[in-house]
Amino acid sequence: MASIARKNLFEDIPRCLVAQAGIMFAVSLITIQKGILDGFTHSTVRLIEQSTADLWVAHKSMEYLELTSSLSVEQLLKVRGGNGRPGVKGVEYAEALSIHGTRWRAPNGQIENVRIFGFNPDGQLFGHWNMTQGQISSLKTPYTLITDKANISNLGLKQIGETGEISSLPATLVGLSRNTQSMASSPYVYASLESTNAYLFGGLSAKVNCKVVAGDLQCLNEFEADSKTPSKLFDPKPPRRLNLSDPITYILVKAAPGQDIQELRKNLEAALPDTRAYTTQEMVDRTRTYWYERTGVGFILGLGAIVGFVVGIVVVSQILYSSVSDHLKEFGTLKAMGASDWVIYRVITEQALWMAVLGYLPSIILCIGLGAWTVATRGIIILITPATAFGVFGLTVVMCVGSALFAIQKVTHIDPAIVFKA
Amino acid sequence: MAASKTKFVNTVQKPVQDVPSPIASERFVSKAIVAHGVEMVFRSASELYPVLYGIDLEIQQGDIQLLMGPSGSGKTTLLSILAGILTPTAGHVWLLGQEITSMSRDRLSQFRLDNIGFIFQGFNLFPALTAAENVEVALKVKGFKRADARQKALELLDQVKLSDKANQLPRDLSGGQKQRVAIARALAGDPQLIMADEPTASLDSYNGHAVTELLRQLAKESNRTVLIVTHDPRLIDVADRVAYLEDGVLRS
Ligand SMILES: Nc1ncnc2c1ncn2[C@@H]1O[C@H](COP(=O)(O)OP(=O)(O)OP(=O)(O)O)[C@@H](O)[C@H]1O
Ligand SMILES: [Mg+2]
Repeated sequence: MASIARKNLFEDIPRCLVAQAGIMFAVSLITIQKGILDGFTHSTVRLIEQSTADLWVAHKSMEYLELTSSLSVEQLLKVRGGNGRPGVKGVEYAEALSIHGTRWRAPNGQIENVRIFGFNPDGQLFGHWNMTQGQISSLKTPYTLITDKANISNLGLKQIGETGEISSLPATLVGLSRNTQSMASSPYVYASLESTNAYLFGGLSAKVNCKVVAGDLQCLNEFEADSKTPSKLFDPKPPRRLNLSDPITYILVKAAPGQDIQELRKNLEAALPDTRAYTTQEMVDRTRTYWYERTGVGFILGLGAIVGFVVGIVVVSQILYSSVSDHLKEFGTLKAMGASDWVIYRVITEQALWMAVLGYLPSIILCIGLGAWTVATRGIIILITPATAFGVFGLTVVMCVGSALFAIQKVTHIDPAIVFKA
Repeated sequence: MAASKTKFVNTVQKPVQDVPSPIASERFVSKAIVAHGVEMVFRSASELYPVLYGIDLEIQQGDIQLLMGPSGSGKTTLLSILAGILTPTAGHVWLLGQEITSMSRDRLSQFRLDNIGFIFQGFNLFPALTAAENVEVALKVKGFKRADARQKALELLDQVKLSDKANQLPRDLSGGQKQRVAIARALAGDPQLIMADEPTASLDSYNGHAVTELLRQLAKESNRTVLIVTHDPRLIDVADRVAYLEDGVLRS
């Protein structure tokens, strides 16, 4: 009965187009909502996923990547060992990661909240990014930073080499990374641990300029920054090296080859009171769950997807129902001949499947195109995974075939006696 | 399915096992169509509409039987009952020796599929399907394989002299041509009984005549039994018998 389904569908081209438009609306809405949800949650954990650490040691109060209490450099050294002291057993190497919220002043004076990530540019556990411009090693120059390409306009910047200000200290853009920014957070900027530390303490007083002289912090009042043209006015001393009491946020740990991770976790937690060690996957889960629950984003986007699904059901039901209504006589004729209802159900179901396929394919292509566009222009990720594409197809089929039930019950009630009505 | 189809034309003399009615007799069994005491009362929520009263009718194998009468007299209702589409309020109907009024819905559907071809005043062709495809659909419903159905559909269209229109859509055919496609479809599966309701009513006199002639020819060539409800006096010439229905009562 293949031809009846297909030909009934294409018989009325405008109606067919309305149906396709309706299905495309539904499919696109569902795909985009799911894509944004996935893109959003994915973006919040990318930095963690890009790290090659086996364990993240955090303060026990840690809620998610950006919300935790500080650790200290002393604790890092305890993990590493050195100076005659043994490190924690099973640690291959360990690096610090320092995360702070701070304020950025653009070259044009505009201010913006940013989150600064301090790490060792020579390290191995953090900062494996695709750079679109510049190099991570440039961060070794004091008072330099890297940010994601998607952030530059938010930071009032146009190109690398431009200098803004953090805590009355200069901050020069030396590189652009790609696919590191969280959609849920303020712009991320990346700097060396030393620069980050200087920015952290420089920010204690807005009008006081702190300099590091021979390892000591000297805060001088004579310096007056002109916020309109900041970069020309400072000539700060390079940031000092970190000392034992300086705060850091995480200790990233690489396990020794063959080391059991659970055992290493126990060793670390025993060596450092009030800390907990998480695997990279646990950090990802914790951060993702935090955003999921705190923002209700899943609920909101899920609601959008449900609206799409309902609209799709209504449109497809309506189209199939009117298609069946238009052919009651012919379907009645089949029933009068003695065809079972199943013959007709098959025709309608097949028509529904055609609608599903013809609505789905252009929609998914459209969504992938849209995703490429938004990520290129707005930095908004619409992540369409194969699982999403496959799942949405399944949903489209369910939607169309489910809608067919409505038309099918009409067929069940066709009185074959109608065939004799002129 | 088509291959295993029972050919009642050769088996009418055999004793029939499933005739439950006490009035069944050799006389009924040997006829193509028999109605005995058929009554039909339509009912709505509060009222009864009696349409047929005590109809007795016997139609010979191979006959062309006309059923005539004024509008509203119950012709279509009687045809629907004789074709197993409507169940009468009372009475019994035998087709090809089998009592259809006691069959289950599914068995009745199968019986219609195997034995009855239908022709309608409004043609009832799928507008999106070509002439050949419309015939093919009937063949497929009757169990023909796809390739066989195509071949057979073309043969049937040839029988109604429409080979050259096989790939035309109904909207590109004249009324007469459409009815010939419908006749080809009715012949799908080679049924013994053809039931037609006003087959010429939508046609002009030339096409009406052509369709009439075709029906006669098909009946006589294959010894089919044809029951035609009609107002059309032209059909009287080709009929073997004519029955008149008036106010739900049959007069021969
Ligand atoms: N389903 C139904 N419910 C109630 N009344 C019905 C129904 N079907 C037919 N009738 C009534 O039965 C009577 C006979 O109808 P039928 O269609 O059999 O007449 P007909 O002889 O075929 O008429 P025509 O020549 O106009 O086609 C009419 O009065 C009609 O209103
Ligand atoms: Mg009638």
